[in-house]
Amino acid sequence: MNRVVQAFLYAAFAAFVGYLSVAPAYQYADPEIAVIKLSLSHAAERVEACVKLTPQQINERAMKGEPINECERERLPLAVELDVDGATVLSLAAVPSGLWKDGPASVYERLAIDAGVHTITARLRDSARETGWDYAYSEEVSLAPGRYFTITFRAENGGFEFR
Amino acid sequence: MELIKRALAHAFARFEAVFEYAFGQRNTPFAWLGALGWYFYWIVAATGVYLYIFFDTGITDAYASVEYMTHDQWYAAGIMRSLHRYASDALVVVVVLHIFREFAFDRLRGRRFFAWLTGLPLLAFIYLCGISGYWLVWDQLAQYIAVATTEWLDTLPLFGEPIANNFLNSTTLGGRFFTLMVFIHIFGPLFMLLLMWVHIQRHSQAKVNPPRPLAIGTLAVLVILSLVFPAVSQGPADLDVVPAELGFDWFYLAGYPLLDLVPGGQLWLYLFAAFLVLAVLPWIPPAERVPAAAVNLENCNGCTRCFDDCPFGAINMVPRSDGRAYESEPVVNVNQCTSCGICVGSCPTSTPFRRSGPLQPGIELPDRSIADLRDELVAGTGETRVIVFACDTGDTDELEQDGVKVIRLPCVGMLPPSFVDFALARHHAEGVMIAGCAEGDCQHRLGNDWTIERMARRRDPYLRQRVDERRLCLSWLPRDSTRRRQRALAEFRVTLSEIDDE
Amino acid sequence: MSLITWKDEFSVGVAAVDLEHRELIELINGLDGDMQEHATQTTVVETLGEIYARISAHFALEEKIMRDAGYDGFAAHKQDHERLLDELLDVIDSVDDAGRYDRAGLSRDLDRWFSEHFRTHDARLHQKLG
Repeated sequence: MNRVVQAFLYAAFAAFVGYLSVAPAYQYADPEIAVIKLSLSHAAERVEACVKLTPQQINERAMKGEPINECERERLPLAVELDVDGATVLSLAAVPSGLWKDGPASVYERLAIDAGVHTITARLRDSARETGWDYAYSEEVSLAPGRYFTITFRAENGGFEFR
Repeated sequence: MELIKRALAHAFARFEAVFEYAFGQRNTPFAWLGALGWYFYWIVAATGVYLYIFFDTGITDAYASVEYMTHDQWYAAGIMRSLHRYASDALVVVVVLHIFREFAFDRLRGRRFFAWLTGLPLLAFIYLCGISGYWLVWDQLAQYIAVATTEWLDTLPLFGEPIANNFLNSTTLGGRFFTLMVFIHIFGPLFMLLLMWVHIQRHSQAKVNPPRPLAIGTLAVLVILSLVFPAVSQGPADLDVVPAELGFDWFYLAGYPLLDLVPGGQLWLYLFAAFLVLAVLPWIPPAERVPAAAVNLENCNGCTRCFDDCPFGAINMVPRSDGRAYESEPVVNVNQCTSCGICVGSCPTSTPFRRSGPLQPGIELPDRSIADLRDELVAGTGETRVIVFACDTGDTDELEQDGVKVIRLPCVGMLPPSFVDFALARHHAEGVMIAGCAEGDCQHRLGNDWTIERMARRRDPYLRQRVDERRLCLSWLPRDSTRRRQRALAEFRVTLSEIDDE
Repeated sequence: MSLITWKDEFSVGVAAVDLEHRELIELINGLDGDMQEHATQTTVVETLGEIYARISAHFALEEKIMRDAGYDGFAAHKQDHERLLDELLDVIDSVDDAGRYDRAGLSRDLDRWFSEHFRTHDARLHQKLG
């Protein structure tokens, strides 16, 4: 048994623990850039429109306590696009959630971008239309370095929200 | 696989040599890694309780309360906080070493799978607790962890809406999510304690308390570390700000940078694959099927010595079944018996002096009978000067030499002390050497401890008083100690010749 | 004429222990009988070895019972057990080495040991166990 070596080993252990508990530092992001976070959750329209029932049928169903709609569950994929200064940086189709693809579709993307003034345009399509977009919003913003710029979407509030 | 194990075992042996020198064989931390894990857990839990008293749950209050503890109450809560962190880190160190060591020394194979398998969820919980702990501080590091973890969890089809939305920007975080983290960080460790208890179920007299010198030493050095290098937070969390440079606790967060290199979904796959591989290790390659110990009721009266000595709890005492007046009999659980033979060494009828009829004790290993043991001992009498009883784990091939007979056992704990007496009293040898694993590191957990106690006449069956202890040499050495073992044997032979000259 | 006759004072009040006492007495009496009929030395040594193994087991069981009952005379009783085992082995060795046995001396020793141990330690144990 050698207490001196023991002390040394203990000290080495403490140094090992102490050092690795904070170092080496991890460089997550360049402090000069800004980050755009796009996050939205929205239910697109159904693939097939609901069957139109006659008022008599609706009545019958209501009396029996059955659902008064008859709809195919599956929803359309959500199309989302993001432009920065005219160039499309993001273009994707989000699949609706749920086993029968009848839930809302979610989009969550993070993009690194140089700080400064940019024109940001966000577009969303939730219907079966071939061209064009159901929702769109464009704004010229000043992105500060080392900060997040978030884009969210709330249909009831009118569409995209920039922050 | 064997090569990896052998290389790892060799690496451990080299690395541990300096620890054996500094701490002594009995108290080297490497024989107590699991126990140190328990010990650090208690330190973390105790400091955690204290911290919780002063911790304010809440998005804004959390950071402030931790700052208060770290700076204003630095002499108590501050030290507690640092100790809490460093003991958690130390826990990871010993647990990782523990995992590699048990693997390298082949202590998880076949019927010993239980501790290994139950250790895997334990490992997951250690990380769950550690990571949620860093979350609670709600500093920049916590912010990074929160965003990275929720984004990673979102790659699994678990949530309808991404939970990372909670951390989208400074307007989105609700207090309830925070409370969830506190819940996880408190009940996680509690559940972990249950898992720790399960982990040691098949080990009788599990080592959960490190020896006092180690306990004092590690606590002291962690407290000193806490005083010299206090743990601090990294600036309050602001979800609108992108974290740039972060001081990382690599013990718990080493996996996070991978999220920047590899897609989250892939990382989950790798993680699950890794756990799967670890889980099947006890059976890859399949362990040799050695027959379990077998009870012979004719020679058993239910004295319970085998039950007391079994290191794996594989023997249970049940009511007598053969109609004799004895109260109980031992039953061997063949799924837990590792065929170490320690029970055979404890049985009072395992004595070579008995000669009428076949030598059959109350409990025995079918493929290593003590009748064979006696035959081996007796064979070559006259030429044998020293009999060495050696365990299968040590390297004892090199001990064979003129005048030395080496008899191998699965564990030296299998040797009934009466064999030592028999060898010496009946003049089958001039000296007996028992060559086993390092103290505190028996491959079968308790074999060398029991042998020491039996030979010292402190544990039944006692070595007979008449045995001249100078003619008995107990040699406890780590693996890869061939030369030390040879030296011990040579020294023993010199001692023996000196006794004869008297 | 048996060497040792069962006496009630040999009983400890525990069925298993009494059973073993009876069996041991039978063994000893058997050995005595064999010696009277001029059994070979080998037979005597073998029987002594058998007695040794059985008595080791018997002592182990008795000690377990004493421990479980928290018997206050445990240490002294166990010491006597160890002494008896030592002496029995010495006898086995001397018979083995001498190449012949001394019937009278052997019988006397066996009787003395066991009767005395029964009379003192086991009787006290019976008292304490109730």
